[in-house]
Amino acid sequence: MSDGEAVRLLIFRVGNLACAAEAATVREILPRFEPTRIPGAPAQVAGLVNVRGSLVTVVDGWRALGQPAPSGGPRDGTTVLLELDAGRKVIGFTVDEVIDLLSVGGETLERRQALPGIDPTLVRAVGRRAGQLFVVLDTDALLTPIFAS
Amino acid sequence: MDLSQYAELFLAEAREHLSACNQLLLEWERNSAAREPVGGIFRAVHTVKGMAATMGYVRVADLAHRAENLLDSLRRGSAAASDELLQLLFRTVDALERAVELSVTGRERELDVAALAAELDRAGSRVAPPPSHGRGTPAAPLPPSPAEVLPPTAPGRLVQVALRPESPLKGGRALVALRKAEALGTVHAVSPPVAAFEAEDFDGRFAFRLESDADAAAIAAAIKRAGDVDQVTVAEDESAAPRMESTAVEGGRTRHLRVDLRRLDALMDLIGELVIARGRLNELAALRRDPAIDDIAIHVSRLSTDLQAEIIQARMTPVWQVFDRFPRLVRDSARQLGKQVALRVEGKEIELDRAILDELGDPLMHLLRNAVSHGIEPPAERRRAGKKPEGEIVLSAVRERSSVMITIADDGRGIDRDRVLERAKREGLVDAHAEALSDDQLLRVLARPGFTTAEAVTSVSGRGVGIDVAMTRLRAVGGVGHERYALPLTYVSETVELGAAPTTTVEGRDAIVLRDRVVPLVHLRRLLAVSEDAAPPRSPIIVLEMGERRTGLVVDGMLGQQEIVVKGFDAPQGTLPLFSGATIMGDGVPALILDAGGLL
Repeated sequence: MSDGEAVRLLIFRVGNLACAAEAATVREILPRFEPTRIPGAPAQVAGLVNVRGSLVTVVDGWRALGQPAPSGGPRDGTTVLLELDAGRKVIGFTVDEVIDLLSVGGETLERRQALPGIDPTLVRAVGRRAGQLFVVLDTDALLTPIFAS
Repeated sequence: MDLSQYAELFLAEAREHLSACNQLLLEWERNSAAREPVGGIFRAVHTVKGMAATMGYVRVADLAHRAENLLDSLRRGSAAASDELLQLLFRTVDALERAVELSVTGRERELDVAALAAELDRAGSRVAPPPSHGRGTPAAPLPPSPAEVLPPTAPGRLVQVALRPESPLKGGRALVALRKAEALGTVHAVSPPVAAFEAEDFDGRFAFRLESDADAAAIAAAIKRAGDVDQVTVAEDESAAPRMESTAVEGGRTRHLRVDLRRLDALMDLIGELVIARGRLNELAALRRDPAIDDIAIHVSRLSTDLQAEIIQARMTPVWQVFDRFPRLVRDSARQLGKQVALRVEGKEIELDRAILDELGDPLMHLLRNAVSHGIEPPAERRRAGKKPEGEIVLSAVRERSSVMITIADDGRGIDRDRVLERAKREGLVDAHAEALSDDQLLRVLARPGFTTAEAVTSVSGRGVGIDVAMTRLRAVGGVGHERYALPLTYVSETVELGAAPTTTVEGRDAIVLRDRVVPLVHLRRLLAVSEDAAPPRSPIIVLEMGERRTGLVVDGMLGQQEIVVKGFDAPQGTLPLFSGATIMGDGVPALILDAGGLL
């Protein structure tokens, strides 16, 4: 995400937070599944789901980002399949809703600006859409530690 | 009695002897100064000759006879195995194998071994030991004509004897029978040789030629007086022998008919139906309380159980039927590459379902070729590394309860991780900046189609070889739902009910006493931290057994048995080390597979 280059971003909402992930790392957007619990896994991990015959481990976005639990049932919301570790892993990430797919010029993003309510090391940049701030998540920094052995 | 059972026996035994020849030749090739292999090959070829002669397979016997002459000279002389000689012998064994197969299917006439026979004769005269002194004997005497040992021209009628299977001391009984025959005339070409009568595996069936004026009935009666004789057949006269031979061939063909596995599968399905019908019959019998119906129901039950066992057994095949061709294969491919490799095979007698064994042949062959070409180093490199110039590959089959583990190991240079990494980067399989491959990544890279031959193995496991699993269902009473887990049946020895067996504690752990043995319990609910609702009062216990270790798994209930496909998943940090993978159930929901080894 170097300056001046246009970046495509997927904007979504998790709890009270408007977030974005680089569209290049988004493999698929799926409805929310009821997962199979993985005993011993950290609380952020919802469990395993079946994506057309492949097993995908799903992380609850609201727990990973310290947001309030979504009000709907376990099947409400959306699962975003994200590529981690340069595409070597595909992880499901639950969000409350997907808002938009944006193409943003690098210059409109501000680097690492601290926002209240989110760990600054997980923020790659901050942008603005329709007057509202959103944080571009460092999905590797957010999710890789969950899987590090 | 017809000759077909002999044809079957002949084929099986000839194959074994020739396979032994191959092994001995390989041994001799490795140690050309050794004398024992020559003797062993001589004896094996001699036995094949005798058996073939008894069966009337003239061409097999002739070829074996010429080989025997050469081998006889070799074992008497002190000549080391020259490469040329070994090649000739390897080719001879190959030709004999072909000859045997053709003979039992009545296609002996298609054999053309004249060139090979001539070559054997020439080699035989070259290595023949000089009669008295020094070298320079112009030519060894011509080998005796094979006709001398061949039954069609050997005098007498073919007599075949089968002792009762339950007869004790078959060897002694067979000798007595032979003596009875000798009282009537001259006995030739006893097969198997008399020496084999004392072997433990002698099954009481033997044959010989008898030159006698007595008529067939008298011969049979005399032999039967030896006692414990099940059947005797005496060929009417010489002209009858070829007729018998052709019936043997017909019979042999039928006996060796290859059964399409789909037929066996269809039989299995029908048996399944029969078992259901049997169940209905049993119910009816119980309802009617009619002893006549009861009798029939019991009889039908027994028959269908036996039938089922027979069909399952019909599918079981010892692994040597596939493994035995590998030592030659390894040797031949090593030779092409200028390497020296010995293959050691372990667990030959272990039996596998034929469908699986058939599927295994090719992937194993690929893996062995791979080990020869990539694993084992050229002799010079091995010497530099301080190893013997000859590399070793071990192919082993080990039975572990209901599964068989097949391993291929080589003492070569191992996998060059740097080279794999480099190639993986070049092909874009890993990040261009990766500095090393984890074991897991390494396997994944190696298993890529086109990267190595490992994809062949994947296709085997993908062909329904699958894993039987017992499905274990854990119901959380009043909880958010239920959790299902799968457990491989391999280590399940039995199931009991908690409360049915006396409970105790051992080192602070709950345990049950099962047939005087203390089996520690694992409460799966607690171990897996399933929500804290009350467990059902009478929980089933699944007893796992691996070697001497036993553990009882306390579960909420059992769901059933089915074949599943094992899949990997990205396990988050902290995941309990109890899972060997996961699977997708029939309803599309994933379930984790418990690792029995980890639980024990």
